[in-house]
Amino acid sequence: MNVAQQLVNGIIIGHAYALVAVGWTLLLGAARLVNFGHGQIYMVSAFIAWWVMSTTGLPYALAVPLAILASAALGAIMQRLFLRLTLSQDLVNLMIATLGFGQILEGAAGLAFGPKPETFTSPLQAIIFTLGPVWFTAQDTLTVGATILVFLGLYLVLDRTRFGAAVRMVAEDPPLVALYGIQISHVYISIFAFEGAAVAFAAVLIAPRTPILTSMGFEQVVMTFVVVVLGGIGSVGGSYIAGLLLGLFTTFFSALVSPAYTTASIFALLIAFMVLRPGKLAASGNFAR
Amino acid sequence: MKALPAPLRLFGLAALALLGFFLPRLLGGSSHVYDTFGMIATFSAMSYGLDIILSDLGEISLAHTAFFATGAYAAAILSVNDGQGAWVAMAGAVLAALALALVLGMITLRTREFAFSLVTYAAAVVCMNVAANWDFLGGSDGIVGIPPLTLSIGPASFSASQPPQFWPFAYLLLLLTLYVVHRFRRSRLGQAALMVHMNPRLASMCGLAGNQVRLLVFLVSAPISALAGWLYAFQRAYVGTDLFDTYFLVLMLTGVILAGRRLLLGPLLGTALLVGQKSFFSLGAYGDKLILGTVLVGILCFCPKGLANLWRRRSHAAVEK
Repeated sequence: MNVAQQLVNGIIIGHAYALVAVGWTLLLGAARLVNFGHGQIYMVSAFIAWWVMSTTGLPYALAVPLAILASAALGAIMQRLFLRLTLSQDLVNLMIATLGFGQILEGAAGLAFGPKPETFTSPLQAIIFTLGPVWFTAQDTLTVGATILVFLGLYLVLDRTRFGAAVRMVAEDPPLVALYGIQISHVYISIFAFEGAAVAFAAVLIAPRTPILTSMGFEQVVMTFVVVVLGGIGSVGGSYIAGLLLGLFTTFFSALVSPAYTTASIFALLIAFMVLRPGKLAASGNFAR
Repeated sequence: MKALPAPLRLFGLAALALLGFFLPRLLGGSSHVYDTFGMIATFSAMSYGLDIILSDLGEISLAHTAFFATGAYAAAILSVNDGQGAWVAMAGAVLAALALALVLGMITLRTREFAFSLVTYAAAVVCMNVAANWDFLGGSDGIVGIPPLTLSIGPASFSASQPPQFWPFAYLLLLLTLYVVHRFRRSRLGQAALMVHMNPRLASMCGLAGNQVRLLVFLVSAPISALAGWLYAFQRAYVGTDLFDTYFLVLMLTGVILAGRRLLLGPLLGTALLVGQKSFFSLGAYGDKLILGTVLVGILCFCPKGLANLWRRRSHAAVEK
């Protein structure tokens, strides 16, 4: 085994995990909401980029912002639909509704894009850097760099701006924030739009690595969930580190043990974490009734 | 409405059950009709497993596709690989589901709300991964060649290979499930579950161990979905990883929510509407997914208490006028 190469792969995949999960970190940490349609938004974003490139012939660099815009709109529409559930903090129904929304996206994508696996490529994939025994592509470099920028940006916005303060306030006590004169519905819609845009950004950077399928959303949520939980729910820095460590873990697990059982091993990791450090997941935490 | 005297009510129920049994024949009795009715009965039995968790315990388990699949896989392995009869397969399905529910119940014991849902969702994905990769479970090809369902009681033996022959079994399973759910809601455990759901503090002051109640309810609910899976395996003659498809999960959830929670016949009516659409007005696999998702989102956004509540509200309004 080329340890150095696996290390590099792990770092790249880890950044990819972190980027897919960044929207959820905000969603769960700041707004106490979950989105089971997350994986399907990832899938739809990848297909929008593919569709734009294959039908209009636009370059990858233009397909990326289009896919991000479309998914941000999707996230905003989704939250606008669910606003009543969100405002009444009906979290159980909200959770099921996001699952239903994911099902709508999957059905619609199947009708629009068909059942075949498709591929779309980024020109940056052809540029390969070699450093001694390891190699990586310019696309990998972009993924790592973009992830770091998104996390830094999110941290700064949450920590330093008025809007970030509003988001954190909404997480603590929505009715009080409304009394203070902040339109909480706008905050919620913005959070969902960010979640859509972030996962779309992740999809257009990462999906060129593998063929895309309309059924691929199902498993995406699991990795995101583990990243957010291991990172300490809602902690921006924590999610980044958790994503990175998880990337290294899965790379070495699939190289040394078995690629087929990677998801199962991640789940085992999650359970071990929950048993050892129940913290916020347990009934005694913030999320208990 | 005044309650009817007990014998009359029993007679009414028996008449209703008998009518239900002959319903597919009254609707033309074609193989397609029987097939649809068999599916409605099987899938609503599956939904009742989730109904107990969702309506009584107030949590959303996303692992019930795994229980459904566990029942189906147990039936397939025992009847194809080991050549066992349907009774043994049934016992295997229940035991396997109980074992899985015990493990999952212990893992999720201290989680609530979205944490509970996410862990159960992840568990279902892991089960699907294991089923797709483990040769013992048929890998990605699944297990084919499940023999026709044959149940023998003493000297009598009942066999089913065609939809019309299958219907009595599915219908019996449905009636049994309805009876179990009805009894559960009136049982000490059912009452305890509701109290733990509605007012956990009061429940613990009354001396109820919340976690124990949750675990027990989980153990009651899993075999219900597993038995539906057991029957579905014989109905379809093969099992595969498609049993874990979110379609089944969303079907269960929508079935429970569509008519209204904590209504005994709710999941049956909800499932009947959804399966009926798929069977008679299908728009293809993707179109049906789209419809299912739209129905679920629509109900939750505009009428979260279910269609029955809409009707109830209207009749209340009429009374007030």
